[in-house]
Amino acid sequence: MKQIIVHQEKCTACRDCELACSFSHEGVFNPALSRIHVNDFYEEQFYLPMTCVHCAEAPCAIVCPTVAISKEPDGQILVHGERCIGCKMCLLACPFGVMGFHSQTGVAHNCDLCLHIPDGPQCVAFCVPKALEYTDVETAATAQQKIYAATIQKSLLAQAGQSAH
Amino acid sequence: MQAQYVLIGNSAATLAAIDSIRRYDQQGRVILINREQGPAYSRVALPYYIGGEMSLDDLLIRRYDDYQRQGVDLVDGATAIGIDAGAAEVVLADGRKVRYEKLLIGTGSACIAPSIRGLDTVTPHYLWTLDEAKSMKAAAKKAHTALIIGGGFTGMLVAEALRKLHVRLTIIEMTAQLLPQLLDAEAGTLFTQAVRDQGVMLRLGSRVEAVAPRNGQVEATLSNGATLAADMLVVAAGVRPNLSCVANGPCAVSTGILVDEHLSTDCTGIYTAGDVAEVKDFLSAGRTIHAIWPTAVDQGRVAGACMAGAKVVYPGSLGMNVVKLFKLTLAQLGRFREEPDDDVKLLSGGRDLYRKVVVDRDGVIVGAVYVGDENGVAEMGVIHGMIRRRTKWRDLARYHLPRLTYATLVHAAAHHG
Repeated sequence: MKQIIVHQEKCTACRDCELACSFSHEGVFNPALSRIHVNDFYEEQFYLPMTCVHCAEAPCAIVCPTVAISKEPDGQILVHGERCIGCKMCLLACPFGVMGFHSQTGVAHNCDLCLHIPDGPQCVAFCVPKALEYTDVETAATAQQKIYAATIQKSLLAQAGQSAH
Repeated sequence: MQAQYVLIGNSAATLAAIDSIRRYDQQGRVILINREQGPAYSRVALPYYIGGEMSLDDLLIRRYDDYQRQGVDLVDGATAIGIDAGAAEVVLADGRKVRYEKLLIGTGSACIAPSIRGLDTVTPHYLWTLDEAKSMKAAAKKAHTALIIGGGFTGMLVAEALRKLHVRLTIIEMTAQLLPQLLDAEAGTLFTQAVRDQGVMLRLGSRVEAVAPRNGQVEATLSNGATLAADMLVVAAGVRPNLSCVANGPCAVSTGILVDEHLSTDCTGIYTAGDVAEVKDFLSAGRTIHAIWPTAVDQGRVAGACMAGAKVVYPGSLGMNVVKLFKLTLAQLGRFREEPDDDVKLLSGGRDLYRKVVVDRDGVIVGAVYVGDENGVAEMGVIHGMIRRRTKWRDLARYHLPRLTYATLVHAAAHHG
């Protein structure tokens, strides 16, 4: 499976990804409707785009009470809007906070990797600094989590070291 | 009839268990004993069916094909009335017996019928099964007014559905606030106002003493002597574990069926999951029954795996809920009503009406409650993850953000570890 991988250090928070995503899915440039969001910490110039990581064991799909979220044979987690009742249990279940909700249609939405576009994810296509990459990953679903986890683990280990003194 | 795996119930817990069993064992025969008729429907979606937003077909979360594909024999219209642990058999109401090697009791909840004088002289509507939903919908189409006993989760969902059918409503709740299991007092006040603003009559802190038929309507007498009349009566006084198949043993039962960390009962080969199971509470040392869909699914997955021979441990149940009612999005996680040693962090920002995080004496995040629009629920997901990982508030305390995000955690780890 191909997956969107974030190279956090390359992100400049230009937010073109948000506009590209919104336009690709909604036909309008509205960051609020984007399925990828740039988190910014301007003081440290730390910018982190976040979108669905297509978990191997996806809590959103597991919890959905109307079976509106599927795990495709290739590993993509897709929301089927026509089955969604808008209960938002998937949003409550997603620990990454990347399941979105479309306030106009009243259904949940997540990154669908722009499967409807031959060129692939438009956020990647329009990312000038190449902070986003659409690539084959061996264990695609966990690659992104590993990046996040490694960052957290590094400092937690440091923290544990400090508190031991 | 006999099978390696026998499951009683056809909803969240048992369906998740089947998926889980099939991960470990593609061969073993599975029999599912279904009290109702046909493939599983989503109980959670019933209010949307009543309100006219979903068709009967939309409610289905399985098809006959799905059972066949998973090698499950669905036995419709069969009620389990007892379990003979010695013979390893489930006894059905029609006298048939189903022999099991591994049994999962997933009989869910039953509606509580409150002790109200005259309840047997009228036709109260409950909402648990599809048949009840159909009958409520049919009654609502003919009704101009309804009384709803109970302002909890089900009561309010029914209220929202009936409102869409233009039924005028009066809700009678015995506690001082609506949704006491979902909202703290302050959030409850905000919600109460929103409900009143939509023209719903509320009688909080009131109890119905008696009901009686009168001129084709139902008349309710409250504890203060006041009377209310309406075309239909809905009783939403809560649920309790449906223990009918274990009423005469063999399993140890308290409020629900007691389990160990693998969701096994004290009887060999018998497991339980969902609303009927009394399980470890994720936050305390005690036991609990949250009676919610996500918990039933989690438990079904664990029980199914264990039935198929895996040694999976259930981490404990965490209360969580989210719902949109009367134009407000409401969400709750864990211990949202603070206890004496807890600390409360109030977050504010944007269009949210109310955001509160509860932190225990060790600084660990244990609960949250949210009232606002749908944009705040993703943040509750992040907080849910934090509660599950027992994250400490001090890791986040420096952030004055419109929203806590997972990126906050990554940033905190990268810069302030």
